[in-house]
Order: sequence, then structure tokens, then C-alpha cells
Amino acid sequence: MTERPRVAFFDFTGCEGDQLQVVNLEERLFDLVEVVEVVSFREAMSEHSDDYEIAFIEGSVVTAHDEERLAGIRENADVVVALGSCAAFGGINAIRNDQDFETVTERVYGDDADMIEANPEARPIESVVEVDATIPGCPIDREEFVQVVTGLIRGVEPTLPNHPVCVECKLEENECAFHRDEICLGPVTRGGCGADCVGEGTHCWGCRGMVDTPSEDAYTAVLEEHGLDAEEIVEQYQLYWGWQRPERATQEEAQ
Amino acid sequence: MTVRAVADSSVGRVDGMKTLAKSEFETLIDGLIDDDPRSVVGPQRRSGQYVFEELDSAADLALEYDLTALSPKKYLLPQYEQLLTYERTDGEYEMHAGTDTEGVIIVGVHPYDLAAIEHLDKVHIDTMGDEPYRKRREDSLLIGLTMQSVAPESFAASMGAATTDSGYDLLVTDIGDRFVVDIGSFEGNELLADLDTHSASHSEVQEVRRIEDDLRGRFERELQFPPEELPTLLAEHYDDMEFWESYAEQCLSCGSCNMVCPTCYCFQVETVRDLGGDSGYQQRSWDGCLLEEFASVAQGENFREEVAQRHRHRFMRKGLYVYERYGDVSCVGCGRCTRHCVADVADPTDVYNDLWEATNA
Ligand code: SF4
Ligand code: SF4
Ligand code: SF4
Ligand code: SF4
Repeated sequence: MTERPRVAFFDFTGCEGDQLQVVNLEERLFDLVEVVEVVSFREAMSEHSDDYEIAFIEGSVVTAHDEERLAGIRENADVVVALGSCAAFGGINAIRNDQDFETVTERVYGDDADMIEANPEARPIESVVEVDATIPGCPIDREEFVQVVTGLIRGVEPTLPNHPVCVECKLEENECAFHRDEICLGPVTRGGCGADCVGEGTHCWGCRGMVDTPSEDAYTAVLEEHGLDAEEIVEQYQLYWGWQRPERATQEEAQ
Repeated sequence: MTVRAVADSSVGRVDGMKTLAKSEFETLIDGLIDDDPRSVVGPQRRSGQYVFEELDSAADLALEYDLTALSPKKYLLPQYEQLLTYERTDGEYEMHAGTDTEGVIIVGVHPYDLAAIEHLDKVHIDTMGDEPYRKRREDSLLIGLTMQSVAPESFAASMGAATTDSGYDLLVTDIGDRFVVDIGSFEGNELLADLDTHSASHSEVQEVRRIEDDLRGRFERELQFPPEELPTLLAEHYDDMEFWESYAEQCLSCGSCNMVCPTCYCFQVETVRDLGGDSGYQQRSWDGCLLEEFASVAQGENFREEVAQRHRHRFMRKGLYVYERYGDVSCVGCGRCTRHCVADVADPTDVYNDLWEATNA
């Protein structure tokens, strides 16, 4: 990688909230542009160049056109980074993956539904191209973004925390959502966010994706113990993990 | 100066006991808050639970607490701690000690947590020579408190940690309208110097004994056998995988039981680099043996990959490995793991009693 690598940001199907987090780095943004040269970033500038080394991709893949565009970016870039949960593992877009596609488009687009040319499933970018680093989160954690960029520039192998949210939740001494008679996806969700949502009085929704080896059966038993029926349990899992969870199950079966 | 250093001095237990009015105790704590450079912390009520937190005033102390979320261990071995910072100028790296190692005045520590700190002292000071820990510990004051409320998850009496006669600078017992204070160290004695105290009478000392005796009978959970039997019992059941799997099946590997335990002390170290790459710091943070990554070593091998192995390890460690090395069973029976395990499989009394019954049925 060059001394000051050229980086570009791209958005696919997502809310652009992750790029907004980058814009919101504030003074860290000045440190950032000292070590990288941003050549394309729709959120923050009008110029665009196809000459870049690191591509940050936000959003999931939902159309054939998305797939083509993504393949082109992969060809141009040395390093492809999935930015945010939609790009990393499908995210909230994949909520519809187990629903009937026609019904979904009609609900969202009404009479214009016929004009929608989308794949029946929302997928992460890794289902189309090879991905070198992942920054999950909905939205991403700014400090984690900075750490990943730092690692990429310094040639350090990027790693993600693989402990559940509960670890950080305990270190923060939050009252456990289960003690408040709520349910919480923290025990099977990848940590790294400081258990922010629990700290703010709600619970974990699973936005950073599942840990590498979630104890899903044991966790399902906990939810049942707390009075959720099968449908409600799937609803919990489906909010962010509509692509990730079935994919994991398939992989496990293959082993 | 630690308690242990003066354990055999002349300020022994009975003749060291003093009585003081509750208002005098508040004067002491408020005086420390105002004048002592160290921070003064104690149990306080915070959204649905008790936590040790910095005190603004003695009036904020929740001395009626049963169990805090984390133990005061966090002041001696913080959750996140910068071990060193580094900086590169003209190609030369310069390192600086990163951690603030100032001691803390901890008010209202229950006996089981005092026992846990004594154990941590053995490990970190006597064996590992952990400098940040030693400095903080020796610069800290521990004001113990006889328990009044017993957490339903606790079994400290079974572990001999419901009461204590060591490990503190002062130990305070509420006998109704006043406090009886036992002096455990020279510094503890100094704290009382300017206060209006008098020597505890025979009946006041008797009252402390009565409260302690009564306390030991108030625990809902107990070990069905003496803790000294644990090491042998565990060694016998090491290979009983069926037993460990039956618990592990329900375990989420969430690590909560490790995080909240006052005697767990495993940590991981990571380097956090600054964007420019010329500076950064090394940070250690708590780790836990129930977590999947814990036992993974270089080349991606994980020598306790199965949940059952990790689950077994935790109980082996508490009752056998640490005993072999330090002569202590490293569970003080606080009950925190039980309280915080959402799957309800962390309770040491469940596991140990089941093993006992399997052997002695
Ligand atoms: S609130 Fe959620 S993340 Fe926190 S400890 Fe409880 S289950 Fe885990
Ligand atoms: S607590 Fe859960 S939902 Fe909230 S930021 Fe963390 S991973 Fe996402
Ligand atoms: S193992 Fe559980 S009961 Fe024992 S000291 Fe640790 S948290 Fe307390
Ligand atoms: S025993 Fe309970 S607290 Fe410990 S890792 Fe398993 S589920 Fe989590």
C-alpha cells in the first residue's frame, strides 16, 4: 500500500448512516485525511475518481446491477472493506429474506411494485466479492472504524472482537435487561460497542451480528424460559440476522 | 501499607474495638472525601442494582446493600487499564508507564469481597509481582462492613467468608444506633484519631458476635460439605464429561460469570495504535475462561474448544487448580455468577452439590 493510500466510499442499499459516522468523526477526520487521500465520497464531496486502493462499501446487495457494480469496484481496489451491518452480513435489509417477495414489494411500493427489479434476498457484499475487512454495526462505531483504517495502513491483520455484548455490559455494570423482564440479544451478539444500547436503558438488538459460534439452542431455551413463543423468537433473530442465521445453519450442516 | 503487613501487630481484634456514633462515621467519610487526595468510593443505588461508585457525600452510601454488580476488585485491577503509552520521535520509540496507580479509599466492603482481595493479593503481589496492582493496593484503604442483608444467591457462609477478622483497615458493624469498629491496621487506627470514639464495652462486642453468628444462619444457599473436600471431589470428576456436558448444553458462553467474579483475574493485552502510527498505547482488559477466544493460542488452535471443557475449567479452577497453587479455594461464595447468569447454570452450589451427591449417594 502506498504512503498515503487513496480511498473511496460507495453506497449500496442502506441508509448511509455508516458514512455519516465517518463524516461525524469531527477532529479525527482531519487526522484521517492526513494518512489517507479520499478520492470519492458522495456524502462529503462532489469529485469522483476510479483510481483508489481501499474501497469502503456501505449497504447490502439487492439487484443484479448492484452485483455488477460491486464486481467492478473489486477489480479497481486492492482492499475491500464492508462498512456497516448491511454490507457486512445483510443487516436490517435481510429482515424480508424469509418473507414472500411479492408481498414485500407491494407493501413497500404499492402500485409501482411491478417496476421493482430486485433480488428476492438482501445479501452482504461477501456473497458477491471477496472482502478483506469488516466493520459491523448499525451504525458503525467511529473508534472501531479508525482502528480498522489504522490497521489497514500499518499492514496489521484486521480482527473483530468475538466475545458477546454481555462481556462489555458486565464491565459497564449495566442492569441486565433480563432482570428488567425484557429480553436481550446480547449473549449471542458480537461485542465491541460497549453495550451502548443497554447503557441507554434498552437492550441489545443484535446490530453487530452474531458471534462466531453462538450458543443458539441454549439461547433459544432462555427466550422460551422468558415466555416467548417460537414465532416471537424468530422475530427477534430476524431483525438483523435474516441472512446471517440461515447462512450459518447451512454452513454448519455442510460440516 | 497493606493490612497484611501489620496483621501481627498489637492492634488485635477485641482490644482494638471502638464504638462511634453514626454521625461520627459520616464525619469521617465526608472528611476523607473533602481532604484526602485519593477518591473515596462506596456502595450506592443505581438503576435497579447496587454498585461501588465514587462518593459525593457519606449520605449517598447504601450500607444496607446485599450484593453489588461488580466487586471492588475493579479499583485494584480495572476493567480497562493502560499499561504503557508509546511515541516515536525521530525514529526512536519512547515508552511511558501508562497507568494511574493511585490508591482508592473503599468504604463498605463485605467480608466475602475482603476475602477475595486477600486472595488477589496472594496472586498479584506475592506471586506475579504485578506492579500496577501492588502500587494501588498498598496505597488503598479498605473500610469493611459486616453484612446486614444477605443476597438470595449468596453462600458465603459455606465458604467461610460471611465474616472475617482480617483483610481490612477498619471493619464497621452496625449495632442499631451506633457502629462498632474493629481496627485492622495502623492506618485504620489513624483514621479514628480525631473522632469522638470510645472503647467498645463488653456487651457491644457481644452484640457484634451475635450479629455475626446470626448472619451465618441466614444464607439460602449452601455447600452440602466442607469446601476443603472440593479439590479431591473435583479431581475425581475431571473425566466425567457427561456431567460437564449436561451443564454446558445450557451455557451461552457469554462470560458473564467470569466478568462479575471477584476472584477471577485473567486479562488480555492489546495494542491500540493511533492513526498516524507513531504513537499508541497498550491496554489490558478483563478476559474470561468461558469465552470462545480465551484459550485460543497462536496458529488458531483452541485447546478448550468445547463449551463443556470451558465450563469444567471454570469449576476446576475455582476449586482445584488455584487450591493446588495457592492453597485457597478461589470462590468466596458471593453469588454474583448465579445472579448474572441468564441461563441459570453458573451456580457453584448447584454444580458442586450435584458432584457431591453423585459421589456420596
Ligand atoms: S443486558 Fe443483554 S448484553 Fe447485558 S448482560 Fe444482560 S443479556 Fe447480556
Ligand atoms: S448493544 Fe447490540 S444493538 Fe446496541 S450497538 Fe451494541 S450490538 Fe448493536
Ligand atoms: S465463583 Fe461465583 S460465587 Fe464464587 S466468588 Fe466467583 S462469582 Fe462469587
Ligand atoms: S455459565 Fe452462565 S454466565 Fe457463565 S458463560 Fe455460561 S451462560 Fe454465561
